[in-house]
Amino acid sequence: MSVHPEKEKWEAAASKLMKGKSPDVLNWKTPEGITVKPLYTAEDLEGLDATNTLPGFAPYVRGPMATMYAGRPWTIRQYAGFSTAKESNEFYRKNLAAGQKGLSVAFDLATHRGYDSDHPRVAGDIGKAGVAIDSVEDMKILFDGIPLDEMSVSMTMNGAVIPILAGYIVAAEEQGVKHEQLQGTIQNDILKEYLTRNTYIYPPEPSMRIISDIMSFCSKEMPKYNTISISGYHMMEAGANSVLQTAFTLADGVEYVRAALKSGMDVDTFAPRLSFFFGIGMNFFMDIAMLRAARLLWHRLMSQFNPKNPKSSMLRTHCQTSGWSLTEQDPYNNVIRTTLEAMSAVLGGTQSLHTNSFDEAIGLPTDFSARIARNTQIIIQEESQVCKVVDPLGGSYYIESLTQAIVDEAQKIIDEVEELGGMAKAIESGMPKMRVEESAARKQARIDQGLDVIVGVNKYKLANEKIDFEVREVPATVRDEQVARLKEIKASRNPIAVEKALTDLTNAAKNGGNLLEAALPAVRARATLGEISDAMESVFGRFTATTRCISGAYASEYSDKNKEVIDAIRKRCDNFLEKTGRRPRMLVTKMGQDGHDRGIKVIASSYADLGFDVDISPMFQTPAEAAKMAVENDVHIVGASSLAAGHKTLVPALIEELKKLGADDIIVVAGGVIPPGDYDYLYDKGVKAVFGPGTPIPESADKTLQLIEKKYIQ
Amino acid sequence: MQIDIEPYIEGVQAGNRLLLARTITLIESTLPAHQQAARSIVDRLLPKTGNSVRLGITGVPGAGKSTFIESFGTMLTSMGHKVAVLAIDPSSTRSGGSILGDKTRMEKLSVDPNAFIRPSPSSGNLGGVARKTREVMLACEAAGFDVIIIETVGVGQSETTVASMVDFFMVLMIAGAGDELQGIKKGVLEVADTIVINKADGDNVLRAESAQKEYQAALHLLMPQSPHWNPPVLTCSSLKSTGLDNIWQTILDHRNKLTACGELAEKRRSQTLDWMSFLVNEGLRDWFYSLDQVKNTLPLLRKRVEAEQISPTAAAAELLSILEQEKN
Ligand code: B12
Ligand SMILES: Nc1nc2c(ncn2[C@@H]2O[C@H](COP(=O)(O)OP(=O)(O)O)[C@@H](O)[C@H]2O)c(=O)[nH]1
Ligand SMILES: [Mg+2]
Repeated sequence: MSVHPEKEKWEAAASKLMKGKSPDVLNWKTPEGITVKPLYTAEDLEGLDATNTLPGFAPYVRGPMATMYAGRPWTIRQYAGFSTAKESNEFYRKNLAAGQKGLSVAFDLATHRGYDSDHPRVAGDIGKAGVAIDSVEDMKILFDGIPLDEMSVSMTMNGAVIPILAGYIVAAEEQGVKHEQLQGTIQNDILKEYLTRNTYIYPPEPSMRIISDIMSFCSKEMPKYNTISISGYHMMEAGANSVLQTAFTLADGVEYVRAALKSGMDVDTFAPRLSFFFGIGMNFFMDIAMLRAARLLWHRLMSQFNPKNPKSSMLRTHCQTSGWSLTEQDPYNNVIRTTLEAMSAVLGGTQSLHTNSFDEAIGLPTDFSARIARNTQIIIQEESQVCKVVDPLGGSYYIESLTQAIVDEAQKIIDEVEELGGMAKAIESGMPKMRVEESAARKQARIDQGLDVIVGVNKYKLANEKIDFEVREVPATVRDEQVARLKEIKASRNPIAVEKALTDLTNAAKNGGNLLEAALPAVRARATLGEISDAMESVFGRFTATTRCISGAYASEYSDKNKEVIDAIRKRCDNFLEKTGRRPRMLVTKMGQDGHDRGIKVIASSYADLGFDVDISPMFQTPAEAAKMAVENDVHIVGASSLAAGHKTLVPALIEELKKLGADDIIVVAGGVIPPGDYDYLYDKGVKAVFGPGTPIPESADKTLQLIEKKYIQ
Repeated sequence: MQIDIEPYIEGVQAGNRLLLARTITLIESTLPAHQQAARSIVDRLLPKTGNSVRLGITGVPGAGKSTFIESFGTMLTSMGHKVAVLAIDPSSTRSGGSILGDKTRMEKLSVDPNAFIRPSPSSGNLGGVARKTREVMLACEAAGFDVIIIETVGVGQSETTVASMVDFFMVLMIAGAGDELQGIKKGVLEVADTIVINKADGDNVLRAESAQKEYQAALHLLMPQSPHWNPPVLTCSSLKSTGLDNIWQTILDHRNKLTACGELAEKRRSQTLDWMSFLVNEGLRDWFYSLDQVKNTLPLLRKRVEAEQISPTAAAAELLSILEQEKN
């Protein structure tokens, strides 16, 4: 097939409709750098790597299974967890009764980072952004009444993966369930933690060993269990476009395969248990094509390892719709966004799916918002009839061509990563993180200029926002409950047995030996999560990230027409320098275990572009540490970014700490996911401004400057 | 508005972190009133200064300076020292603003009660900040810090300025792919008291050792600054904290040798004199360019030089003749 015989006629017709302009002006360059044309024809199918293939057959573009949803629909797997194990357990049971199929556990940030609830560094984090788990006793409550031999359980755990997976196994043992009956998935994808998710504990080397240990233990003991979920979702949410997401995720996958091979495993013993996790955004066709492209590429990448089992190169994936695309403004719109994204995941051929709740940018889901989110999927499955046909978009000129474009672009980046020596080395070099952050800064600049439309945020804004639904708030008393239970457990266990089990674990960390296996006796003896984590940390150390910051990307994305907005702020910064002897200086900081750093990076980088001097603190600060830094650097203002619900504890504590150092004249502002209902509380405590999700950079910079100008320029 | 300098003086001497920080802000300020106050403060603090080990560290971006200071500084505080770090951050953007991220690489040290870290924006003017760094160093000494580390990036002219205000100047290097001597100017090697090859860890150890040999050979060709000190080439890993104690030992060794022969005292004396003439030159220049007549004439002359209507020499002479008029 060549050019359509009447293509020229079409061009003429199109041109006529556009007052003589060539249809080429309708081409759209996506953030991925792909040029999308207004029309695709059969010509575009020529020379593609894979057309007219079959589902269930290599290279799996059309799906990993032969019958796909026509045979069985994807698994509705909603990610949830909050407060205590007891409360989360109740929530799970209600959801399962209402049609949810699999479980997916969200842990709180203290648990993620290997701290017990009584640790001083996590005072603001307990139960806030997930469920608090301190020991196997909590684990047993979490799965109470949920038969672990039947229920497939997915657990998002990466840092504290040894105590959590061991806890799950022992909880099952105590339910009378055998190891080999366990089915589900542990995320266990540490590379992307260093890159975007930020719940690492140990340095890369021992962390990679932990992964191999888990793969090797499970390949023998838990053959139905997915030992890793290689995740691009978090990269997307941190700012990666679809090509970056595909490339870095698959490159991570290759790195894990190499690690497992190096530890002596045969490719076919573990590769079939590798699973993936992709994020699906608002570019509807792009992310359909992305899933198809990812499957093709994975098959291609795996062939270098010569697997015998076809399942070894078959990409199976979970998907989640984008939380980032959801807004605090006019939040019911989020139901529509999520529906579109869910459709995209489904048409792309996902194996399971999480759909976000409409209150995503406000707080954790409530019973109500969770119901709507779940029903979004149920309605697609049971009412829309889209499940009847496998890969219904297969053969579409556009989708097939876009699939190829993503394959080609992602392959280029994968090649780049390979040249750096693989993903672990690439992450060390900082390349992937910088790419993602640059992509995030540019996106922010396009939104702030109104070039990328977000309804309710930069177009069709509501005059009066009001929240007429319940918002979930996890009370600070959850910490007291957890601390009390920790005391109880420590009082009732056999200290000698605990001591011995922990020493054995430390020795295994030091001298080799399977760490998951070594952790089981400790869990059985009621050692706590923090103790188990510490037993390994004493050998491995705790990883500290290298923060790099991009600069210039935000400002350079501004078109000449819109430049005056940023020029006006630059002028004010120059004026401030002239009047007061230095530039406005702001410390941006993240306190507690909250690892959401997309916002703070965007703020740091864009504010510097606007003429501020911006100090950026390491992650995971205590309020006292942040205050010390603010004082030493002598900043005018501290901006605390809080997304994991620690704001009511941590920001007032920061103000107290500044006072203790005699620096109560340093202005404090806060930003992030802070429910509007909490603003007054923060103002009362002395916070001078709060900037919620969706605040345009020029707007917050203007307000911040005003605060400083008022104080220092008479 | 008159600034009351007494609280600053008292505060710094009492080791108050906040007032030390605010004194530094005055020192760094571009406002004449602040600078004047800062001068008076530093003057009054002088009797309390001079008692620290003054270290300068330079190296290309990415050499690992911040990481080195994190590990090295932590080692020093655990030995009982009080460490102040002055980091000159060159990452200014076109807007004049900058991102000061040094402390993210000094996570432990930045929360250490015995450490004080102050990153300074260079605002695109490395010389300018470096000029103030000396006074900042004095303020830190008066506040009781007994090791002062000045981090400066090895591009531009700031590193020689820094070398001229410290007792010991160290160049941090990484073993590169063959082009060892590239990227860092020969002038910097001439003022180095040691060269340290960083990142000697993992599969990089051998490369670091061969770089060490190359630098040793290169240094042999240079005339040592002091008859009492041959700059050694050392290796370390800032990440794994190896080789650091050896570096500290080398610094102390240098100190002992140069103290014994009186060279350290002499070095500091001549640094002070150099400093004075530097300030005089700087002051003259600032004063000259602030003259109304210079401000008016300079742009016109520049244009004419550009248009080749007048030679640069003649233009300079015409400009400098303004001084003659000022004299009268
Ligand atoms: C992106 C994202 C992630 C990414 C983070 C990637 C990264 N490296 O940052 C990933 C996928 C890794 C992630 C993970 C998790 N997330 Co999350 N995540 C989000 C999401 C969808 C968007 C946040 C975002 O980046 N927005 C874009 C940036 C630019 O906006 P922003 O940070 O709000 O900043 C803007 C303003 O707030 C303001 N601002 C913010 N800070 C500051 C500071 C200053 C000084 C100023 C002037 C202004 C300012 O200006 C910015 C520009 O407009 C939010 C929901 C949402 N829509 O907000 C959930 C959300 C924050 N996540 C949540 C949770 C629970 C988690 C997890 C803890 C889940 C779990 N149990 O495992 C994990 C763990 C992460 C961790 N280590 O902390 C919850 C928190 C719940 C709560 N607060 O009650 C949220 C609210 C979703 C939800 N409703 O459940 N997440
Ligand atoms: N392997 C290794 N990496 C190091 C070492 N020192 C620093 N690095 C890394 O080199 C990069 C740059 O370090 P940084 O301290 O920011 O360099 P600076 O620009 O000179 O201050 C970071 O990624 C560090 O983790 C070291 O001794 N060994
Ligand atoms: Mg540095």
